[in-house]
Amino acid sequence: MASVELKDFVKLYGDHVAIKGIDLHVEDGEFCVFVGPSGCGKSTLLRMIAGLETISHGDLTIGGRVVNDVPSRDRGIAMVFQSYALYPHMSVRDNLGFGMRIAGQDRAEIDRRREGAAEMLGLGPYMDRRPSELSGGQRQRVAIGRAMVREPEVFLFDEPLSNLDAKLRNQTRLEIKRLQQQLGATVIFVTHDQIEAMTLADKIVVLQDGLVAQTGAPLDVFERPRNLFVAGFIGAPAMNILPAEIGEGPVVRALGLEIPVEDGVFDLPLPGTSVTLGIRSEDIVPDGHGQRPQTGADVSGAVKFSEVLGNESLIFFDVGGVELVSRMQRPRPVRAGETLSFRIDGTRIHLFDTETETTLRRD
Amino acid sequence: MAVDISDPAFIETLKRRERAGQKPSYLRLAIAVVLLIAYLVPFYYLFVTVFKTTDEYLRSSVLDLPTSLAPFWDNVVQAWTLGGMGRASINSMSYAVLGAGLATALAAGAAYGLTRLKLRSANAWFMLIFAGTLFPFQMFLVPLFFGFQRTGLINTWAGMVLVYTAICIPFPLLVLRGSFGAIAREIDEAARIEGASEWRVFASMILPNAKGPLIALFLIQFTFVWNDLLFSSILAGSPEVRSIMVALQALQGTYSSTGPNVVVTASLISSVPTVVLFIFLRRYFMSGLQLGT
Repeated sequence: MASVELKDFVKLYGDHVAIKGIDLHVEDGEFCVFVGPSGCGKSTLLRMIAGLETISHGDLTIGGRVVNDVPSRDRGIAMVFQSYALYPHMSVRDNLGFGMRIAGQDRAEIDRRREGAAEMLGLGPYMDRRPSELSGGQRQRVAIGRAMVREPEVFLFDEPLSNLDAKLRNQTRLEIKRLQQQLGATVIFVTHDQIEAMTLADKIVVLQDGLVAQTGAPLDVFERPRNLFVAGFIGAPAMNILPAEIGEGPVVRALGLEIPVEDGVFDLPLPGTSVTLGIRSEDIVPDGHGQRPQTGADVSGAVKFSEVLGNESLIFFDVGGVELVSRMQRPRPVRAGETLSFRIDGTRIHLFDTETETTLRRD
Repeated sequence: MAVDISDPAFIETLKRRERAGQKPSYLRLAIAVVLLIAYLVPFYYLFVTVFKTTDEYLRSSVLDLPTSLAPFWDNVVQAWTLGGMGRASINSMSYAVLGAGLATALAAGAAYGLTRLKLRSANAWFMLIFAGTLFPFQMFLVPLFFGFQRTGLINTWAGMVLVYTAICIPFPLLVLRGSFGAIAREIDEAARIEGASEWRVFASMILPNAKGPLIALFLIQFTFVWNDLLFSSILAGSPEVRSIMVALQALQGTYSSTGPNVVVTASLISSVPTVVLFIFLRRYFMSGLQLGT
């Protein structure tokens, strides 16, 4: 396996700058996830690493070797596509063996690798079937198998789970993670699904409009979003974002409340300055459901609607014309119009500069 | 449960009700039968005529049944020898196989280039090639005739292969451009990452996935070349290089003394290859020009 380094990456399509200067280091054996909304450049970045798009500017180093001008096949990579891209006219066996066959590998070696992958992925019973005769999950496994037999230095995954149904997606997600750990593989995985990103990644790279918005471990990105974009993108449901003002104290004023702020956590501007306040749904605790935060502020509001998820409910309620969402643990049925009391956890709030949208948190 | 679907009587009632909605219309049936008869009469004429002698043909009504099956072989032998159909069949077969084959192969190469190679002005190239089909053949037949005369290609086998290949390229290109375009690009990208060269992608990924359209197109172009009379009668009239349709024309020309029974038998013989080819390749032809994998 190998490390991957991107230096000053830029990609131009005509006049459009898709990638605007990205530096990134993916460690040997690391599971790195590119996440971001549609059009942020994550797939373009992956395709540049794969050699399917040219690099307009910058250097790509895989395993210590600059590979900008090296064709895809010689970069030591293997890729799993969103549509799986299995060869429809070939059996599973031939799909797995195609690359090795055209590389002139000897038959015994082809069989050894193919059988190894088939066994690891449970593809044995399907080896003579065509892709059209397989289910989505089986196709996905063949695509992963095809990548495995290449014994690449780096695995590239381009939204490989998005065509699977919800249950299979969770199952395959676990399988991919397990496989990566088993092989000790370096993986770069693209997704627009932040849950996938959180669950799979050793390192998350949040992309926004062709730039890296934040890089870090999943919890790091979740707990300490560097800007409003990351705060809003990572976490489901999205973080409650509302205008606020610094008060005396230190406190933050919002929704007519005074929420106490922990000393030393933020670089607070002068009292009276407008800021943006972010509160995650789980940090707005309904009374009687979960532990009541010690430091914080009480708020009540009329329920607009609720989403019942089974183990918890998301309560959307109104406070002075502003809609907030709270996560109710051990939920009970809630009616629209019902007034509920909540407590906002003051130790877990996020504050952002309203103009620059960057965090006020001290690092 | 309000509905008991295990009750056979209930299911039978439902079936009856479903069938009631599909009752045939007798008017529609009558129209269909008339059309069918109109369509089949020429075939009937063909099949009764090939079993008649010239005398019998002239004596009886054209739709009368033959008195014996015996004259058939005699008609075949006459048609074959008088019309020079042996040589003409070989000529037509070579024109059709090579012309249609080369045209389909070249169109496949061009379609690959247009859909996969990120060519500059790919659309302009396509329009240029396809523009050839916008004009009637008759329009360029005269310049083609003089051109062939000057270059010595007139009345030559190579000249006919050349002209058929050229004529047959645009239509397959139009179809294959669509077919190749419908093959997911990720398939060739996956193959490229696995080490496939451009040629390998074309041969191992694109062509096998467009087998249906390729075979159907070959068959269409083969039939066109085999049945062509216009180009072959103008550009290759000499007995050494003339096509089967020109031979057929010579057999039934104004000064020909051959009986209609022999001419009809010759037409039947000339239609054998296309029918046989269709029977063998019908699976691809029926699936049409869509992609099938």
